[in-house]
Amino acid sequence: MPEGENPRAAQAEPRLSDLLPAGGLQVVTIRSPSPRGRLLGVEAPHLPKGYLLIEARDLPGANRISCFGSELPILAEGRIAFSGEPVALLAGPDTAVLADIVAKVKVRVEEEEPLVNWESFSSEQVAAKRVASLGDPELAFSIADKVVERSYRAEALEHWYSEPQGALASFDYDKLEIRCATQWPYHVRDSVARALGTKPEDVVVRPTRLGAHLDGKLWYPSLLACHAALAAFLGKRSARLLLSREEDFLYSPKRAPEAVALRAALDKSGNLSALDVRMSIHVGAQAPLAEELLSQACLAVQGAYVCPNLRLEGYAVTTNSPPLGAFGGLGAAPAFLAIESLSTELAEAAGMDPIEWKSRNLLRKGSRLLAGDPLKEDTPFDAIAEQLCRASDFRRKWAAYELVRKRRSCRSEGPMRGIGLAFAHQTGVFLSGSGPNSYTVEACLDKDLRLLLKTSAAICKGGIADIWRQSAAEILGIPADKVSIAPPDTDGSPNSGPVTLSRGLSVVNRLVERACTAIQKRRFRDPLPISAKAIHRLPSSSAWEPNRVAGSPLESAAWGGAVVEVELDSWTLEPRTLGLWLCVEGGRIVSHARAASALRAAASAALSSCMRERLAFERGAISREAFLSYETLPLAEVPPILVEFLEAERRSPAKGLGELPFDTVPAAFLSAVSQAAGIHFTTLPLGPDALSALEDA
Amino acid sequence: MLVSEVHQPRDLSELLSLMRRLPGATLYAGGTELLREQASRYVTLPPELVSIASLLELRQVSLTERFVELGACLTLTEVLELKESALPELLALALRGVATAPIRNLATIGGNLATRSRFMDVWPALACLDALVELRDGSGARWINLNRLADDDGRPAFPAGVLLSRIRIPLERWDAVALRKVGRCGYPSRDSAVFALAARAEKGILAEFRLAFAGERALRLRDVESRILGRRLPLSAKERSAFAVEYREAATVLSPELALRFGTLVDGALDLLSR
Amino acid sequence: MTFSFILNGEDVLVKARSADRLVDLLRERFGLLGPLADCRHGACGKCLILLDGRLAPSCMLPAFKVRGREVITLEGFSQTDEYADIKGGFEEAGLELCGFCDNGRILAVAALLERNARPSRDEILGELSAVPCRCADPETLTQAVAAAAERRARRLYHRARQ
Repeated sequence: MPEGENPRAAQAEPRLSDLLPAGGLQVVTIRSPSPRGRLLGVEAPHLPKGYLLIEARDLPGANRISCFGSELPILAEGRIAFSGEPVALLAGPDTAVLADIVAKVKVRVEEEEPLVNWESFSSEQVAAKRVASLGDPELAFSIADKVVERSYRAEALEHWYSEPQGALASFDYDKLEIRCATQWPYHVRDSVARALGTKPEDVVVRPTRLGAHLDGKLWYPSLLACHAALAAFLGKRSARLLLSREEDFLYSPKRAPEAVALRAALDKSGNLSALDVRMSIHVGAQAPLAEELLSQACLAVQGAYVCPNLRLEGYAVTTNSPPLGAFGGLGAAPAFLAIESLSTELAEAAGMDPIEWKSRNLLRKGSRLLAGDPLKEDTPFDAIAEQLCRASDFRRKWAAYELVRKRRSCRSEGPMRGIGLAFAHQTGVFLSGSGPNSYTVEACLDKDLRLLLKTSAAICKGGIADIWRQSAAEILGIPADKVSIAPPDTDGSPNSGPVTLSRGLSVVNRLVERACTAIQKRRFRDPLPISAKAIHRLPSSSAWEPNRVAGSPLESAAWGGAVVEVELDSWTLEPRTLGLWLCVEGGRIVSHARAASALRAAASAALSSCMRERLAFERGAISREAFLSYETLPLAEVPPILVEFLEAERRSPAKGLGELPFDTVPAAFLSAVSQAAGIHFTTLPLGPDALSALEDA
Repeated sequence: MLVSEVHQPRDLSELLSLMRRLPGATLYAGGTELLREQASRYVTLPPELVSIASLLELRQVSLTERFVELGACLTLTEVLELKESALPELLALALRGVATAPIRNLATIGGNLATRSRFMDVWPALACLDALVELRDGSGARWINLNRLADDDGRPAFPAGVLLSRIRIPLERWDAVALRKVGRCGYPSRDSAVFALAARAEKGILAEFRLAFAGERALRLRDVESRILGRRLPLSAKERSAFAVEYREAATVLSPELALRFGTLVDGALDLLSR
Repeated sequence: MTFSFILNGEDVLVKARSADRLVDLLRERFGLLGPLADCRHGACGKCLILLDGRLAPSCMLPAFKVRGREVITLEGFSQTDEYADIKGGFEEAGLELCGFCDNGRILAVAALLERNARPSRDEILGELSAVPCRCADPETLTQAVAAAAERRARRLYHRARQ
């Protein structure tokens, strides 16, 4: 039997929470109580035998991890960048004793006033900047028939992934074995090797079960793995660090908030003639994903619309908050929120219904984007809109709700309802050039015609792995149950890059196909077993440069739309969602049932993020009360979610589409609530200000 | 502390004796309120605990035509499982909105009422229904209206050293009941509260109107209620506006966000009476 | 303190501090890894057990609260026909859980079907709101529970006929 016989390898991985090696060390993080200042030192009581305190000076290697072009300290040294920043580690065998010691540890900081403002900021806070333009926006604005301005804001969100983060480091003969739930096993390996000053081959990462992650486990597990590895290395025993849910909530990266100010010009025909964008993304301290978040947001902010004159200024801004970053994608969702919400207002200003306005202004073959080559094909948004309108009865409802809204003089005059529609695309490619640029998948066909696939992306949920198996089986003409997937361990599987942006489909699946195609070509002339590697290397000019990214980042994009219908409770004025419809063009869909299920799960999370999941920072830190009171939308309040697919040609590649609900549902929701209330809301999640505005209206 | 002294009395008389002997001991029923804000590895418990959840005398139900009497240590789920005739609709609405089923399986109705830092979900509903609670201590037992467990400032005023043993809820006919939670529903905070309404009309005249709102503070304006009573329905726009103003003025003792939410809910309630 | 309780059908004796949470006792003393210690304040549902037949969050139970009572964990429940009904229903509907919420969701479904043999969508999702995991969507969850209910009803029908 080939290694990794279990075809559902990803689901067989153990949970980190269950791994408790006997005789090992537990590791606890000592954190800065202050958000900014000079670190003066750590004072700890006398430690019992078998307990150790680890500070930055104890690292045998570099006190740094790298992520998408940024470098972060593993333990704070000299300067404190945010409240809760790891300053030291305490390791020992007994958790109760550790808890007693931690209570007596003092971290001394010479405090400075923290930087907390990210919407107005100084140049020292800029971690990344993008300035780009198309055409002549100044001229277009000067001759515009109408100008509409609005500023939008998307707040921080908690991932609430399946398991709090952590890592276990132990010795496996001559190697250090790391076990953690991570979207990027090789990043963990390389980070740990660097921290210990050893070769990457001396470290093996065996990922534990990942569960639902919403992109919250992209790079942070690597930091925790370094912590566990240090404790194991210095304590000469296995060491486990598992954050409590509370600690994870307070200190691990959250979604980066974004503020997008849009100014749009309409010509006499009501078409979009110019767009002026100013956006800032709050990336917190150390900004590990700043370049990529900004690049993705800049691409998304044009939305689905052609705009011949466009000016953009975008900033990723650091503060003394914990690092902030990805959530269901890499920064695009808030940008779509802004442009799609504005499009509803533009339709109103042009005197059209939203569908008509969107259709007239859609990106088409030859349309220019802020980044990349002109589009080679029309976008499928007209077909998506048609399907959504049919499924949701959008046009009739929108018109009816508009009529009621315009005539309403008080809230008792019938239900307050609204319906919104939004479009988005999902690219599946990194844009900033700061990410990894080479991904590999291996395949091996043995004498019994069984295929073994090897990829570090095998941490994906079972459904993606089944798609790989099916793709491989189709190409090789073998039954799918003869295809197995090796565990995603770094000593057995090649580096397939981080699992995000649905790359399991958009990149890894294509590499599986290429590797299998290579085997198929050799199969009847070369003896078995035959192995093949498929390597994808990003072109060197794939980074965002002003006005271009090489190629078209939308070439392999998935396209989608959402309709959300809401009603405001006549007593509390809180919105209740009546219906949610999605339509997606995701290329070849291997399993409609699975794809629909994944889209619905993402849509539920996206809806929850609109209404309930409020998370605020106070002086750069999240409060304990925020943790205790954080709530997701109860399942019972999620309406039926209907998903339809636009059928693609049989030979179309499979595309990643799991983020489309995060990119579309919030904007559709905001438009719907705005119609129901008769007010243009601009911030999600809806907060107390929204209710004040409703009350005043 | 990792080790507390836990006493488990076998009956009510032993419990009362323990309470006399250990005046500083904490009564522990479901424990959900005590543990709600603890998320660390070990729970932090008071040094002396008296576990009362299993005492049979505190878990009885008695039903007459005019009222239902509930033992304070009945869990919220057990109360919800009472037959329809024994469970006022407003109470059922309040109970169903508390947390989730597993929490309701532990939390007790007495525990939900006998809080000292804030009013919990069931309080406004029972306050609206003018429920009575039986308080026991060394000097005996007495029944008081639940509304008296709020002081003049509207803050919780549950007396120390006292056991809440039973709750007596009048069973009346209501034409309209409503309950709404505002703020963070799963976690009581400064800006969360519960709004309860019960109203009854007889021959087009408003015969009963009760409105209670409680979170960190309780708000029930009996004088306004008494002036609304006897009015012919539907209320006129002028009447509605005048009462809304009174309620809003009284709500200034609440936080600004809660006052705003309260005002919105009052509008909704008065709107109901205007149709 | 030392006390006894019934764990998965067996009488057990345990020594514990009053500050010990039941979820940690179950996992660390008895090696029962079904319930997960996650949020530790009753919100996530991953630590659910059946306490005297009712769902309860084992993180909210200090050790002394189970004295003399019956505790069933997923391990104990997995020996039952009801568990087979639920697993079968989940597989039939193609429900893939993340591996962390399974414990809570399976026991929540078990408790629901015990009370209500044919729950509606709202009732299913209302019960499963006790385990707010992001891994699965409401529709597939509903179909899975409906399939489990169907299997359970068929099994009970056949048993009654025997």
